Amino acid sequence: MSPLNDSILPRFESMGARNDADSLDKYGRDHSSFSMPDPLAVVFPRNTEDVVELVQYAREHGIALVPSGGRTGLSGGAVASHQELVVSFEKMNKIIDFDPLAPAITVEAGVITATVQDYARDQGLFFPVDYASSGSSQVGGNVATNAGGIKVLRYGLTRDWVLGMTVVTGQGEVLKLNNALVKNATGLDLRHLMIGSEGTLGLITEVTLGLTSPPPQQAVMVLGCPDMDQVMALFARARNQLTLSAYEFFSDKALQHVLDGGQSQPPFDERTPYYALIEFDCTDDSDQDRALAVFSNSLEAGEVVDGVISQSDSQAAELWTLREHISERISHLLPHKNDIAVRVARLPEFLKKLDALLHEHYPQFEVIWFGHIGDGNLHLNILKPADWSIEAFKQETASINAHVYGLVKEYAGSISAEHGLGLLKRDHLSDSRSEAEIQLMRQIRLLFDPDGILNPGKMLPDPI
Amino acid sequence: MKILVCLKQVIDYQVRVQVNPDATGVVTDGVKMSINPFDEIALEEALRLREAGKATEVVAVSIGNASVKTQLRTGLAMGADRALHILSETAIDPLTAARVLLKIVEHEAPGLVIMGKQAIDDDCNQTGQMLAALWDRPQATFASELLVDGQTARVTREVDAGLETIEVDLPAVVTTDLRLNTPRFVKLPDIMKAKRKPLDESPIDSYGIEAANAAQALNYAQPPERKKGVMVDSISELVEAMKQRGVL
Ligand SMILES: Cc1cc2nc3c(=O)[nH]c(=O)nc-3n(C[C@H](O)[C@H](O)[C@H](O)COP(=O)(O)OP(=O)(O)OC[C@H]3O[C@@H](n4cnc5c(N)ncnc54)[C@H](O)[C@@H]3O)c2cc1C
Repeated sequence: MSPLNDSILPRFESMGARNDADSLDKYGRDHSSFSMPDPLAVVFPRNTEDVVELVQYAREHGIALVPSGGRTGLSGGAVASHQELVVSFEKMNKIIDFDPLAPAITVEAGVITATVQDYARDQGLFFPVDYASSGSSQVGGNVATNAGGIKVLRYGLTRDWVLGMTVVTGQGEVLKLNNALVKNATGLDLRHLMIGSEGTLGLITEVTLGLTSPPPQQAVMVLGCPDMDQVMALFARARNQLTLSAYEFFSDKALQHVLDGGQSQPPFDERTPYYALIEFDCTDDSDQDRALAVFSNSLEAGEVVDGVISQSDSQAAELWTLREHISERISHLLPHKNDIAVRVARLPEFLKKLDALLHEHYPQFEVIWFGHIGDGNLHLNILKPADWSIEAFKQETASINAHVYGLVKEYAGSISAEHGLGLLKRDHLSDSRSEAEIQLMRQIRLLFDPDGILNPGKMLPDPI
Repeated sequence: MKILVCLKQVIDYQVRVQVNPDATGVVTDGVKMSINPFDEIALEEALRLREAGKATEVVAVSIGNASVKTQLRTGLAMGADRALHILSETAIDPLTAARVLLKIVEHEAPGLVIMGKQAIDDDCNQTGQMLAALWDRPQATFASELLVDGQTARVTREVDAGLETIEVDLPAVVTTDLRLNTPRFVKLPDIMKAKRKPLDESPIDSYGIEAANAAQALNYAQPPERKKGVMVDSISELVEAMKQRGVL
């Protein structure tokens, strides 16, 4: 045990500091594959003051801190592999205040996303940021990655729901940003710098989130499409005719992995190359009739082959599992995950080129397509062939990245739509952002964290 | 053989049910209504029997106000051949439902009646048994497997001690348990087709039966809130906590 470590444990005993092998392994990694956890220790602050104390200690001793939420991140943002001190927000899990008038809820950063959703529902309200990892991801992590999810189409990103926050900078300063005001035209809104900063500008300790009214009764359709062009043509039609809250898609290969789990049944007997999942407002028969019209018109136009519609909320939930279980069902196959986006209008062309590229250069890999296609976001997962070593596969994925991100750049898209950059995507930042922008980001980072103790090595590429 | 399937409209299983302000019932305004899940399983089983050539016609019946037509249409879209709506503005109790169903059964003469073991709203678990008694025919409740062979049905029942297999002569009443099958999704083209299938309505009093409720609800209350669980950090803490509570 290093002398430093010797002193950390007693020093932060009150914050539950530990360094047993199990804890180091657990708290040193997130949901991204290929990470090698090697933290110094883990601490569990209980309030903003504790966090300030940790930052001051880290500055004095030159220790790096890794803010750690629910560790569901997919880009290695919460990975600690260089003897960092992991700051877990797990114990900061209290709901501080509920404001029915705003309506808004103020929570500690470690509150689980689903807890906010449930709380809102119990008040007859709705917190719309939602995705498959809501049961374990934390509000702090959502804010730090500006998480998106399945309802972005109607409700936007986490950014759109953050009314205020308390954050501790790399110099131990406590900033209370925006004080939950709706209107506040008083200079630069630093809150928005914090959102999506992946723990590099400050440690978020409290967040005020806006809430809204729940949507009316809804239904879910899953429709089978012959190709991606038709998935997008169907989107244009559905968006026009129905009040959508989600438009997702997945490939038949993705579906097969979910079905192999043995817990779901296919939507209908015939299998099609792609499926669109549409969630829309459906309060009465006339809404359902409009959905039927969309279906029959798209059937005629050759956009869809077959389709089902939920008749109960349980069925809607069951249909959602076909989409939401994909990520978990393929995770043991160590997929190389891509989370890319282009403007929706350019998607059909982009997807065609992407498909051709993968076919031409990487026919040996199984490619799983799914994503929030209604907002231009595609999750492209390339599976490691069982007989390939991790090393060989990693090497190959570097070449895939170069190819795929080159195409993303050509289409002025994003190489990370909602999963952040973390460790895995940071070196490709210049495919989405200009050198001038990256340089400004570096300078901003220095302003907030002059000693470089906040999540070093994450988000930005090393300067050349 | 004709199969009669009973579909009850209930508040959707996923809805968080709320007691109304004066505690005389639960809030149903703007709340999603669906087919009772056990009844959905009953219909699925009937459709599978028809698809396997064991039945020739599946008739769905529901007793309730005008809105239950939505659930009957869903039943038709799933594949029922026709539907009967017994219009009753007021809620009825299991015995009244069984009496009405007896009239239907006498008229339709089905070889098999399949219905849910209970409805998830009142959890009575009575109507199937009462119908069998009134009709004076065998009953096989809590079915997790149903095999029809000529004039008999072999039914595996989920009982406290495990599984029990019995054989009953048809016609009979079978009530379904959760594991009997997984109901299919409804295809969009089938919803359109269902609009053209016969859905006959008749008022409950045309059967000479008054909509009645022998039991009177005195009060409704939200269940007490569950105590929040505690998270423990390690197996040893778990063992310690269990010891403290005397469960270990
Ligand atoms: C199955 C699955 C599905 C997913 N689907 C989606 C999706 O649809 N949309 C989407 O956007 N994401 C999705 N994700 C990614 C992930 O769940 C989200 O990014 C989530 O918001 C991360 O929250 P977390 O608490 O787990 O953060 P972590 O993984 O713990 O951390 C993420 C980043 O935030 C930083 N951080 C965490 N807490 C704080 C804090 N208090 N202060 C400062 N920095 C902090 C970390 O250092 C790290 O850089 C999915 C993940 C999984 C596993």
